[in-house]
Amino acid sequence: MTETGFDVQGFARDIHELLVLSTLREEAKHGYQIALDVEADSNGLFQFRHGTLYPILHRLEEERLIKGSWSRDGGRKKKIYSLTPSGLRHLSGETNRVEEIVSRLIQFLRGPGKATT
Amino acid sequence: MSSTSPRIFLPDLRELEKSLPVPIPDRVRILSELEFDLEELWGRLLAQGLEEEEAKARALEALAPDPGTIRQLGWLHAPIYRRVTLNMRDDRLRIVERSALAAATGGILLLQTLTLLRADLLRNPSPFLFPVLGLGALLVACVLAKVFELWIKGDHRNARGGLGLILGLSGIVLGVAFGGTLVDLVRLAGILERAPEMAGRVIPLWMVRESTLLSVAILLALFGGLVWFVLTQWLTLVASARQEVLGLGRDSGN
Repeated sequence: MTETGFDVQGFARDIHELLVLSTLREEAKHGYQIALDVEADSNGLFQFRHGTLYPILHRLEEERLIKGSWSRDGGRKKKIYSLTPSGLRHLSGETNRVEEIVSRLIQFLRGPGKATT
Repeated sequence: MSSTSPRIFLPDLRELEKSLPVPIPDRVRILSELEFDLEELWGRLLAQGLEEEEAKARALEALAPDPGTIRQLGWLHAPIYRRVTLNMRDDRLRIVERSALAAATGGILLLQTLTLLRADLLRNPSPFLFPVLGLGALLVACVLAKVFELWIKGDHRNARGGLGLILGLSGIVLGVAFGGTLVDLVRLAGILERAPEMAGRVIPLWMVRESTLLSVAILLALFGGLVWFVLTQWLTLVASARQEVLGLGRDSGN
């Protein structure tokens, strides 16, 4: 975020990326498991539909924030994603940034002079 | 893959493959990843008590990319060259690519000639050396064009097109050189028949000329043959990976 402008679409994309990174914090998972865990952990608030998960995974992989590796499961090929050290750093830094944005948004919505809880 | 899995999503994957605008190796990886996830989700939904068809529809709704997602995947997996030239008009890009190829071919021809000049091998060359050099430059141009198309541009629409030409040119280069050596040998025999006293001067010259001709031709043919072999093997690997993920027969094209 900058002081002069705020990219809402970019922020939505960042949120999706952070959801994926956060889900991978504990252990490596494959795509569908990531989508299920995001949905379950957010009580259905965040969902990936129409394959929107894959561009996010592939972009994060290209940026080396996650690492994809192939393995065999009962003869079938599956791709497992794990968080990289730079992904973990990115998650931590971006979480702080999102926290600040959300806090400023709440402050704005509640109106001037009312403190955030 | 097929031994343990029903592969019920194959028709959907084949349909999706037609619309995925990415190079074949990336396409295969995307489809493999998607198939595993679809089957896992389908199995989970079945375990929750859904009918097969409903479970399939739900899995596809959740994971199969829609047109917007396909566009995003296409952009993400586009080769760097495509991203850089995205805003260039097609006809203009074609002109730039062809000019670059012509310049590269000219450059190679010049380099070949300079190398031979530096080694003092063009003072009294076989007349067959020039067509060999010309064909060699054409061969290298074909190789450059194919490597550029497959690995830099990521355009696999006519992946095997031009490979036969590379092998054929390699063979022609060798044929011209060996044929030329034979013709030069007949000429040498004619000279020696008329003037046997010139043998001491003419034979060493002939040997230098012909060894230059043959070594240039053999090097060019080896280069062409090796490139043909590597590209053919790579394309076979890519094609079999695609056939495996789409459950296709050996004769299906790219």
